[in-house]
Amino acid sequence: MIGTDPLTVLTLTPLFVGFGLLILPQLLPSKNAESIQKVSRNISFGVALGLFAFATYLSCKNFSGIDWLDISMGDYILTNEPTTLISSIGVSWIVGADALSLPMIWLTALLIPLSMLVEWDAKKGHLFHPLILIMEGALLGVFVALDLFVFYVFWELTLIPMFFLILVWGGDDRKYASMKFFIYTFTASVVMLIGILVMYFSTDGGASAGSLTGHHFDLIAMGAQETLIETEGLRHMVWLLLLIGFATKMPSVPVHTWLPDAHVQAPTAGSMLLAGVMLKMGAYGFLRIAVSLFPESTVIFIPLLVILGMTSLVYGAWVCVGQTNLKRMVAYSSVSHMGLIFLGIATMQPLGIAGALFMMFAHGLISPLLFAVAGAFKHHYHTLEIGSMRGIAHHSPYLAAHMMLGWMGSLGLPLLAGFVAEVAILIAFWMTFGWLVVLPALTLIITAMYYLSSMQRTIFESNDRHHGILPESLHGEDPTDVTWHENTGMFILGALTILFGILPFIFFDMMSDWSTKLLEDILVAALENQGVNP
Amino acid sequence: MSETKNEYKLLLPLVPILAIIPYLALVQGWESIDAAIFIVAAPFVAFPTILILGQVYNKNKTWKNTWKEGGILGLGALGVSLSAAIWILFDYLNGTAHFADHSVSHWLEWISFDVLQSDYTMTETRILGMGVWIDSLTLMLMFVATFLCFLICWFAIGYMTTDPINEDSNHRFFAEFVLFSLGMFGMVLADNFLWLFVFWEIMGLCSYLLIGFYYWKDSAAKAAKKAFLTTRVGDVFLMVGLFILYDIYGSLEFSVVFDDPSTGVGGALVDSGQMFWALTMLFIGAVGKSAQFPLHVWLPDAMEGPTPVSALIHAATMVNAGLYLVARMMPFVDVHHHGIAGLEDFGIMVAYIGGITAFMAASIAFVQNDIKKVLAYSTMSQLAYIFTGLGSALYFLNTGDYHAGYFVLGASLFHLFNHAMAKGMLFMASGSVIHEVHHAHNLLSLSHGDGDHHDFDPQDMRNMGGLASKMPVTATAMMFGSMSIIGIPLIGGFWSKEGIIAETWAAYFHGESAMLVPAILILATAGMTGFYMSRMWFMTFAGKPKNEVVDYVYENTPWIKEPLLILTLITAIGGFALALYGVIDFLSNESTHLAMHGDHGVVDSIITQLEHAFLPEDSQIRMVGWVTIFLALFVGPIMAARIHGGSLKDGETATPIVGWLVNLSGKFGTQDVSSLAESDLAEALQNRLYFDDLYEGIIARTVIPFADLCAWFDRNVIDGIIKQIESNSVLGSVQIRRITTGSARDYILMATVGALSIVALLLGVSN
Repeated sequence: MIGTDPLTVLTLTPLFVGFGLLILPQLLPSKNAESIQKVSRNISFGVALGLFAFATYLSCKNFSGIDWLDISMGDYILTNEPTTLISSIGVSWIVGADALSLPMIWLTALLIPLSMLVEWDAKKGHLFHPLILIMEGALLGVFVALDLFVFYVFWELTLIPMFFLILVWGGDDRKYASMKFFIYTFTASVVMLIGILVMYFSTDGGASAGSLTGHHFDLIAMGAQETLIETEGLRHMVWLLLLIGFATKMPSVPVHTWLPDAHVQAPTAGSMLLAGVMLKMGAYGFLRIAVSLFPESTVIFIPLLVILGMTSLVYGAWVCVGQTNLKRMVAYSSVSHMGLIFLGIATMQPLGIAGALFMMFAHGLISPLLFAVAGAFKHHYHTLEIGSMRGIAHHSPYLAAHMMLGWMGSLGLPLLAGFVAEVAILIAFWMTFGWLVVLPALTLIITAMYYLSSMQRTIFESNDRHHGILPESLHGEDPTDVTWHENTGMFILGALTILFGILPFIFFDMMSDWSTKLLEDILVAALENQGVNP
Repeated sequence: MSETKNEYKLLLPLVPILAIIPYLALVQGWESIDAAIFIVAAPFVAFPTILILGQVYNKNKTWKNTWKEGGILGLGALGVSLSAAIWILFDYLNGTAHFADHSVSHWLEWISFDVLQSDYTMTETRILGMGVWIDSLTLMLMFVATFLCFLICWFAIGYMTTDPINEDSNHRFFAEFVLFSLGMFGMVLADNFLWLFVFWEIMGLCSYLLIGFYYWKDSAAKAAKKAFLTTRVGDVFLMVGLFILYDIYGSLEFSVVFDDPSTGVGGALVDSGQMFWALTMLFIGAVGKSAQFPLHVWLPDAMEGPTPVSALIHAATMVNAGLYLVARMMPFVDVHHHGIAGLEDFGIMVAYIGGITAFMAASIAFVQNDIKKVLAYSTMSQLAYIFTGLGSALYFLNTGDYHAGYFVLGASLFHLFNHAMAKGMLFMASGSVIHEVHHAHNLLSLSHGDGDHHDFDPQDMRNMGGLASKMPVTATAMMFGSMSIIGIPLIGGFWSKEGIIAETWAAYFHGESAMLVPAILILATAGMTGFYMSRMWFMTFAGKPKNEVVDYVYENTPWIKEPLLILTLITAIGGFALALYGVIDFLSNESTHLAMHGDHGVVDSIITQLEHAFLPEDSQIRMVGWVTIFLALFVGPIMAARIHGGSLKDGETATPIVGWLVNLSGKFGTQDVSSLAESDLAEALQNRLYFDDLYEGIIARTVIPFADLCAWFDRNVIDGIIKQIESNSVLGSVQIRRITTGSARDYILMATVGALSIVALLLGVSN
C-alpha cells in the first residue's frame, strides 16, 4: 500500500480532501447551501495552509535537517519504498524530490492558499475552493512523481480542475476557451505520451517491471540504464515528441495560442495557477525527462532550442505591444518570459540552467501577482480594456501600488526576483553565444515599453486628479479599491518578489548546484562527443 | 518669522535617530567603515515606514503638522546616512583609515555558481555579491550624495508641504525620495559593476516615480515614461557591457578587475578590441543616465516633477551616475598601471559626445523661458564638460601621458563636485522663486476675485523681473550658483572648468588633431554658458517687473532658506579652498589626503594656486585660459545684460551683495533681439532641434505598426491555422456540445464517474 512518507501525504491529502468536499455537499440537503459554502471554503483554505506549512518545513534545512545542496544527479530525497500500483504493466508509486522539484513544490503550496484568498468570495464556493485543492494535488503529483505513468496521469489530471475553473467561473467566452484549452493541451500531451510509450518499451526488465510486458515506467531506473533507446534516430524522434508536449505547455511559439484565450476567460485564481505553476510543468518535464534522459539529442538540438526560445521571447514581446486587453497582454508576456527558459538551457552553462530554474520560480511569483492585478481590474472596474480608464490610482491606490510592483518585477527591475533570473541567463548566454545576446537584451526595452504604456494608460494620465476617467463598464458606480483579501494575497506575492530579489540564494544556490551536477554527470559527455564547445 | 521658529521644534524627535552614529563611534567603539551599512540601511528602513504610515495616518493632523507627512522621518534617515558618510570621510582624510585595501567590507553573497570551461571542466564556485569599495572617488560622491540629499530633503519639507497641490500625497514623495537616495548611496558604495547596475536601476525606477509624481497630469506621466524608456535603452547596452566584462575577467568585482586589467581570467591577455566594445557598451549606459547626446531627450521633460526632484536628479544623484561609471573606467586604459593599450579612440569618442552635447544644450538654453528648463539644459551642458574632461583623461592615460591624464581626471571630478553643489542650490533657488511667485499669484487672484489660475505660469521668466529686492537670499544664492556654473574667476566651478578646457586643448596641441573639435566646442560653450546663465539671472532678478504679481512676492516659507545659505557659502568659497588643498590630486588618486601645496603658509599657496590658474607655463595653454575667461566673464554676461539687464523699479533697492550686479547690468545699453527671436534658428532651438519629434516619428512609424502587425499575425495566422483545424472537426464538437450543459453539478458528476471508472479499470488490470 502507498506509504505515509511526506511527499505522498503532501500529494494525496489535497486530492482526497478536495474530492470529499466536492461530493459530500451533493449528498447533503441543499437548503443550507450558504453554510456549506463557508465550511467548504474554510476547510479547503485550512488544508492548503497546512500543506504550505508542511512544504516550508521540508524546505528548511534548519527544521527538517535536509541539505538540498547535497543530492547527486539521479538521486532523490524523501523517497518512499516503491509500491507497485499496476503490477501487470510495471506501474509503481515512486515519489522523490531534488533541487529541481523542491522550489516548484514550495511554490505550488504557496500559490494555492494565495489564489484561494484572492478569490475568497467566488460564486459557488463549495465547488470553487475544493477544485483548487484538487488542482494542488495534481500539480504536486507532477512534481513529485518519479514514475512516468503516474507522472502522465497527474499531468492530465491537472487539466480537469482547470477546465472546470474556466468553464464554470470564466468570462463571457468561457466555453470556447475551456474547450480550446483542453483539446489543445490534451493533443500535445498525447503526442508526448507516444514518446513516453516508446521509452517504456525500450526499458530493460527489473525489479519493478510489469508481469505482462516486462517493462517499467520507473524514471530513476531509466536514467540508470546504459542506453535507453538503441537507435539514435529513434532517440531524437522521442526527444522531439517530448518537446512538443512540453513546449505546448510552457508555451513556446508557435504552439502558444491556447494560452491567451485561456487566461482571458479564466477566473483570477485559475489564471494565477495557470501562469504560476502549470506553465512551469512544461519546463520541469523538459529538464526532468528530455534533457536528463537524452543528453545527446539535447546537445544536437541546441540550435532548435535557441530558435524556439528566441522566437518566443522576441515575438512574444512584440505581440504584447499590440495588445489592448490587459490580461491578454500579461498572458503574452508569459510566453515571452518562458522563452528565456529555453535560452537558459541552451547555454549549457550551470549559470544559464540555474537561471532558467530561477526564472521558473521567479515567474511563478510575479505572474500570479500580475494576474491578480488584472483580475482586480476585472472585478472592480468590470473591464480589461487598456485605455478605457485613466488616472484610477487616485481611486484605487493599493491596486495601483501592486500593479506598479508587479509590472516592475516583470520587466526585470533589479532587487526583484525576475532580474536575478534574467541576468543569470543573459550572462551565460553571452558566454556561449556572444553578440547574439543583443536580441534578448533589446527585447528588454520592448518589455519595458509595453508594461509602462499599459500602466500609464490605466492608472495614470487623466488630467483630472479627483475623478480620473472611469470606464463605461462601471455604469456610474463608484470605483472601489481592492478588498482586504485581494490586498493580502498581492501583498504577500509582492513581498516575496522583493525578498527573493535581494536574497535569491535561498533557492538559487541549490538550483545552481543541481545545474552543475546535471552538466557534469550527464551533459558534458554528450557535449564532448558532439564536439560542442561550451 | 514666528512660524519659522516653531517649525524647528519638529526636529526634536530626530535627536535619538541622529545619535545612532555618534553612539556607535564614541560608546561602542565601532570602526567607521562598519557603519557604512547604515548609509544604505537607514533609507531602506525609512522607505516602507513612511509609505505605510502615510497610508494609514493619511489626513491625520499630527502626521501632517508634526511629522510633515513623513518628511521628518526621511530627514532623520538621510541624517543617519550623512553622519555615517562624514565619519568615514574624516577617518580617511585624517589618516585613521587607509586606501591600501579598497574593498573594505562584504555584505551579501547574492548568487553563486560554477562555470563550464572549454576543456569541459568546472571552475571553482564563483560568487556575485555586494560589498563596499572605498577610494577618493567614492568618498567624494558619497559626501556629495548624502549631503545634498539631506539638504534637498530639508528644502522639500518646506516646499512640498506648503503647496496645496500635494494635498495628502507627500508621504509618497518622501518615501520615493529616500528610495532614490538609497539607490545613489548604494551605487556609490558598491564594490562591483553588477551592484552598481542594480542601484543604478533603482534610481531609474525612482526617477520614473518622482518625475511622474503628479501622475494625473498627462505631461508629467509622459515625461516619466520617456525618462524611464530612454535611460532603459542605455541600461540595456550597459548590461551587455557587463556581460563582456564578466566574460573577460570572470568577475565583476573592482578588486579582481582592477587588480590587473590587462590579463583576464586564466591569465589570458585582454584584447583591446573586445575591451573597446565593453567600454563602449558601458558608455552608452552612461550617456543615457547622464542625458548626453543622442539620449538626452528625457532630461528637459523631467522638469515636470516637483522642483526638489529636479534638484535631486540633476544635482545630487542620477545624472552623476553616468559620470561615475566613466570615471570608474580609468584603470582599464591607464597604461602605467596594467591598463590596455590601444584605446585612445574610446577617449576621443567620449570627448566628442561631451563636446557636441555641451554646445547643443547651451544653444538650446539660449531660447528657454522656463526657469527650470534653462537649468536643465545647463545641467546637460555642464555634464558634457565633465564627459569631455573624462574623455581627455582616458586619452591621456592611454597614450602614457599620465601626468596630464590624472590632472584632467581630477579636474573633471572636481567639476562634478562644484556642479553638484551649485546646481543643487540653483534648483532649490529656482524652486523658491517658483514657489513664492505661485503663492503671490494665488494671493493676487484671491484679492481680485478671479480664478484664472491656469493661464499663469509661475515658472515663466517672462512673468518675473526685478525680484532682487524681494528675495535677497534667493537672489544671492542664484548669483553665486550662476557664477560657479559660468566659471567666473575665483568662484567654484572656475577652478575645475579651466582645467578641463585647458587639458582638452592640450590633447590637441600634443598632436591628436581629432581633439580639436571637442576643444573648440567646449571653448565656445564657455562663452555661451556666460550668456544663458546671466540671461536667466537678469530676466528673473534685474530690470523692471514684467508682471504685477512680482509686487506680492516675499520670501517667507520656512525650511527653504537654510539649504540655500549653506550651499551659497560652499559655492562661493569652497571651490577655492578645496583647490588650495589639492583636491584635484586627491580625486585622481595621486595623493591620499587633502593638504596644501608646499610648506610656506597660506599666502604662498594661494599665490601658487593663482599663478597656476592664470599664468600656466605653457604659452598655448595660457592663451586658451585667457580666451576662456574673456568669453565667460565678459562676452556672455555683457550680451545678456544688454538684452535683459536693467535697474530695478524706482524705490526698490536690493541688498548690496546683489545690488551691484543689478546696477551694473543696466550700464551696457540695450539691444533689441525680437527679430532674431523669430528666426528659423530660434524656432529650431525652441523645438529642441527636432530630436524629440524625430524619435517620436520613428517610433510611431516603425515600432507601433510592427507591433500591430505581430498582434494581427498571431491572431489571424498562427491562431487561424488552429481554428481551421478545429472547424474541420465539427463532428467532434457537435458531440461535445451535446454534453456541455453548463451546469457544474453535471460536470462534477461526470468527472467523478470518469475518475472512478479509471480507478476501477486500473485495479482490474493490476489484478
